Amino acid sequence: MSTAPTTKPAAKRPIPTPNAYCDTQAFWDAAKEKKLLLQYCTETKQYQHYPRPVSMYTGKAKLEWREASGKGTIYALSITRVPMPGFEDRGPYPVVTVDLEEGCRMIGLLLNCKFEDAKIGMPVRVLWEKLSEEFNYPSFELDR
Amino acid sequence: MKNKDIAIIGYSETKIRHRTNRSVYDLAGEAFSMLLESTGIEKSKIDGMSLTAPMSEANPFIANYMCDTLGLSPIWLNLSALGGCSAIGGVARAAAAIRNGDCETVVVISADAPSTRILARHGAYRGEFQDPIGVQGPPGMFGLLMSRYEHSYKLIPEALGKIAITQREHAVLNDNAYEKFRKTITMEEYLESRMVCDPLRLYDSVMYCDGANAVIVTTTENAKKMGFKKMVHPVAYSEVSNYNGDKAAPDITETGFAYAGPTALKKAGMTPSDISMFQPYDDFTVAIMLKMEQIGFCGRGEGSRYILDTDLSYNGKLPLNTGGGQISAGQPGLAGGGLNLVEAVRQLFGEGGARQVPNPKNAMVTGIGGIPYGRNWMISAVMILEA
Repeated sequence: MSTAPTTKPAAKRPIPTPNAYCDTQAFWDAAKEKKLLLQYCTETKQYQHYPRPVSMYTGKAKLEWREASGKGTIYALSITRVPMPGFEDRGPYPVVTVDLEEGCRMIGLLLNCKFEDAKIGMPVRVLWEKLSEEFNYPSFELDR
Repeated sequence: MKNKDIAIIGYSETKIRHRTNRSVYDLAGEAFSMLLESTGIEKSKIDGMSLTAPMSEANPFIANYMCDTLGLSPIWLNLSALGGCSAIGGVARAAAAIRNGDCETVVVISADAPSTRILARHGAYRGEFQDPIGVQGPPGMFGLLMSRYEHSYKLIPEALGKIAITQREHAVLNDNAYEKFRKTITMEEYLESRMVCDPLRLYDSVMYCDGANAVIVTTTENAKKMGFKKMVHPVAYSEVSNYNGDKAAPDITETGFAYAGPTALKKAGMTPSDISMFQPYDDFTVAIMLKMEQIGFCGRGEGSRYILDTDLSYNGKLPLNTGGGQISAGQPGLAGGGLNLVEAVRQLFGEGGARQVPNPKNAMVTGIGGIPYGRNWMISAVMILEA
């Protein structure tokens, strides 16, 4: 955690709802084993995130899941001062947009550092947070 | 390219209030009645309607219910679901329908009451890839956007402060603005306002309110036949959705206005220095700065300097959101996109009262719709109105 707990959460942190808008089962199955999967467009040989029913490059459903390195650099960084419901125990917390090595972006919480220490351009790696027995969720930590 | 065959001949706007406990139908009815009273147009003459899709209802049949509520039987009906671009997008679509001969006189109506209730849900990927992160919806995404801008260019907080202060001064002069916002703020107060999502401050941000507005669009020929002397012409419109949508890692400080701004100006045969007033959609102050840069009022990365060097008051060099904009008049949800449109029409009619822009020839109005995953915004739209 970036800061000491302040207040008790009034609501629970949202748990993902897989397959609600497209088939994401593979992503969450891999997450359980702390592996990050990204969709790969086999025609243009490019990655995309978040997952979609089609390639954002071609509009076609020619996609496969590939394991990603989980490494990237901070592209954008903001401190959330007013926690969302379920995050009250975190106090102010940093949120980052990460340029993944694979060429697409992912948003996540930045954990295990004082937010004053984080800067745009710094290397990060995926850190899996256990949300429940069913779900590990991808967050990030500085890769130092 | 420029065509003055279409005219806006009337406008109406309710006062903006917080938590009215009123429905979209009730608010739209008030704006509709005001519009008929102020223009003297018989309801039976209106044969088209464009309704802005609001957040405070979740009903795909809402345009049909609205016809029923207002007692209209239009032969052209459009549900404008373009977020904050719904009002100007509605005018543009109404103009196209009128030119196509589908109808002759259209009411473009926007009402929303998100401070009373929000029933609309974004759904899509959010339940899996956004909500569990704890990122604060629009302020969170704009905090990220601002951080990237700050990293790439010079972001002077006092420049955004000047926008907030100027718009407050304008809201003081606007009887329809949310009453609580009708007092000026100082630069010190701006700088000391609390951080919401760094580097985004409270005074950079809009607040949800309730309200409604409407305009009537018809042919210039018909307007003259009906004896209207005051009219403004939508001479150019440009819109783009999901700009850079096939790129997985684009420069997020480049928005759809890099397309929509220059395109609208070209259609109107104008350059930025021809614009008499700027009435941009303002959810956050930085959006105004990015638009100034990408429409071409100044160069990329020069926004802070440009704002500090330019008089943005109603009688200044580039009058900015002369009614206070949404940030200082209150954001009536997705009806907020009509706020700036109505203010532009009011000013071009010469009815700006204490905040009247001296001798305006035209106005630029913009819209922003939706905030996607890790980018800037979903829709960018620009309309140029000429007296």
